[in-house]
Amino acid sequence: MPSEMTLGLFVVIIFALLCVVAKDFGSVNNIMSILNRFSYILIASIGMNIIMITGNIDVSFGGVISVMCILMAFIGKKGAPIYAFMPAAMLCGAILCMFNGLLITKLRIPAIVATLATTQIYAGALPLMIEGSIYDLPASFTWLAFEAKVFKFVPLSVILALILLVIALLFMKYSRFFKSLYAIGNNVKSARLAGINVDRTIIITYAIAGLILGVAATIIATAGQRVTTTMGAGMEMTFIAAVVVGGTSVTGGSGSILGTAFGSLLLSIIAPALYHLGISDSWSTAVMGAIIIIAVSVGALKGVRRKRTDRAKEA
Amino acid sequence: MKSKKFNFNFALGALFLVLFIAIGLKTPNFFKPDYLVNVMLRNIIELGMIALPVTLVVITGGIDLSLGSIATLSGIIGGMSYKATGSGILAVILVLLVGLACGWFNSLLVTKLNIPAMVTTLATLYLFQGIARGITQGNSVYAFPAAKWLGNFEIGSFPIQIIFYIVLAVFFVLLLSRTYYGKYLYAIGHNEIASRFDGINTVRCKMIAYILSGLMSAFAGMIMLGRFSSMKYTAGDGMNLKVVTIIVLGGTSINGGVGSMVGTIIATLIIAVLNSGLTVLNIPIDVQTIVQGSVLLISLITYAIIEKRNLSHKRHEVSKAVKTA
Repeated sequence: MPSEMTLGLFVVIIFALLCVVAKDFGSVNNIMSILNRFSYILIASIGMNIIMITGNIDVSFGGVISVMCILMAFIGKKGAPIYAFMPAAMLCGAILCMFNGLLITKLRIPAIVATLATTQIYAGALPLMIEGSIYDLPASFTWLAFEAKVFKFVPLSVILALILLVIALLFMKYSRFFKSLYAIGNNVKSARLAGINVDRTIIITYAIAGLILGVAATIIATAGQRVTTTMGAGMEMTFIAAVVVGGTSVTGGSGSILGTAFGSLLLSIIAPALYHLGISDSWSTAVMGAIIIIAVSVGALKGVRRKRTDRAKEA
Repeated sequence: MKSKKFNFNFALGALFLVLFIAIGLKTPNFFKPDYLVNVMLRNIIELGMIALPVTLVVITGGIDLSLGSIATLSGIIGGMSYKATGSGILAVILVLLVGLACGWFNSLLVTKLNIPAMVTTLATLYLFQGIARGITQGNSVYAFPAAKWLGNFEIGSFPIQIIFYIVLAVFFVLLLSRTYYGKYLYAIGHNEIASRFDGINTVRCKMIAYILSGLMSAFAGMIMLGRFSSMKYTAGDGMNLKVVTIIVLGGTSINGGVGSMVGTIIATLIIAVLNSGLTVLNIPIDVQTIVQGSVLLISLITYAIIEKRNLSHKRHEVSKAVKTA
């Protein structure tokens, strides 16, 4: 059985167990809030996933989301509809993430350090421009969260996430560009020798990730009529966790979007699960950290074992 | 090579002096000894202390992003145990033990499981902070006697923690430049596989570096708890970035193999001047955050350019040698 399916089965079992143990867990309200979380975690994680396959990382996702949320609130305050502010956010995300990509490729700065630095700059710059939050947003701003339902039941955000998932799966399977991401993650030098323009590919990857991060930010921002400057702070950890739990190697070169989808589902039920099991919300950070460490360690142990069996075969 | 390194630290020192004098001329209050000792130096001590062992980690090609969380977690556990048992000695022992355990845990994941240091310590950053948040339920924890002493005691109006810093700084400078252990760290940073074949116990060397940084983070956490007299789980947020900024500014390559402890110490002073200078010039805290990030980016970019030029220079020389041969 492929490892994604194992993870999927695991998530389904946990979900079923929670529904049995905690009474309200299966309620419509709870499922809806989980689905909302799932949709933006999935969209952002797809972006994180394609970056991590190349062996890079972007920890500025949270900061970029904050910037995009404020930008959307700024445009939406005047009553602009969603098809005006969502593209603006996507464009903004693409530019900011592309800047990260430029720092990483053209100046050879390790991805994590470069993006940590840009996170710091966004976190410092936002409060200077906006005092705390933008509030009293018009009702049209929250259209996506409250009114946009397909068949009066399924939230549009979930449909949006699933459409993006299908597109990503198709591209990963058939697109030459996305195949080259794996080549870069496995071995940059040989990818370059094979004729791949590594720098350009990585920059475009960052730009694509930023573009779809704009969709995730739209779902996050439109959840209420108030947008704060710290809307996305710390969220990058959830996305990295979803990707790593989904089986993507942190050193790059392997990973699957389907695994990331199941990882996102697992990550989106953690917080409500803790709540319904009567565990204080204060523990959620620790649980998240522990899940990442376990996922990464399992992946590493698998690698160690594979190496050993390979060696045994050679002998 | 040696003279070049000297020049570099010299340049850093000159930068420090220029900043120091420029800010001092703008606001004469800055030059008062009381301000220099109690604001400029006292506020940077924790970061400076942690930067010392983390320089060792960075030289091996690793990094430690969890240091701020280790500082808060150990400080919080010390404070809680004092509140529960009333024993000051137990609190100090627990603080150092927690730091040791956290550093050991990091080193285990990095060396035994071969998980990249950045990912390991990014995950433990959240794990340790999450544990601190969970056990305090988000509430503040108050200082215990030893922490208060470390954070506030003065010998003739000279804070005790600065003396500790000086002793530790001398120790780490000697450790890196005068011992085999220091040389091994450079070797590991340059080429880990080659140094393993050279008979260096790379696993043990790296483990010691991570454990030292865990221990020192715990010690700094104790000072921090004493200085502020209370602490929340968010106290260490952003410390990792500040420490990395200090180390990179000090000329240690983020890719490992190159670096100096003296550079780290001078960079600590530069950041101290910058922080206290911006405060004295009444510049808002958000701008200071931007300045921190920009200093890190600019120093990274500068070193990237220098490294690139060195590389092409080397290539040029090699091709010249090939031609003459």
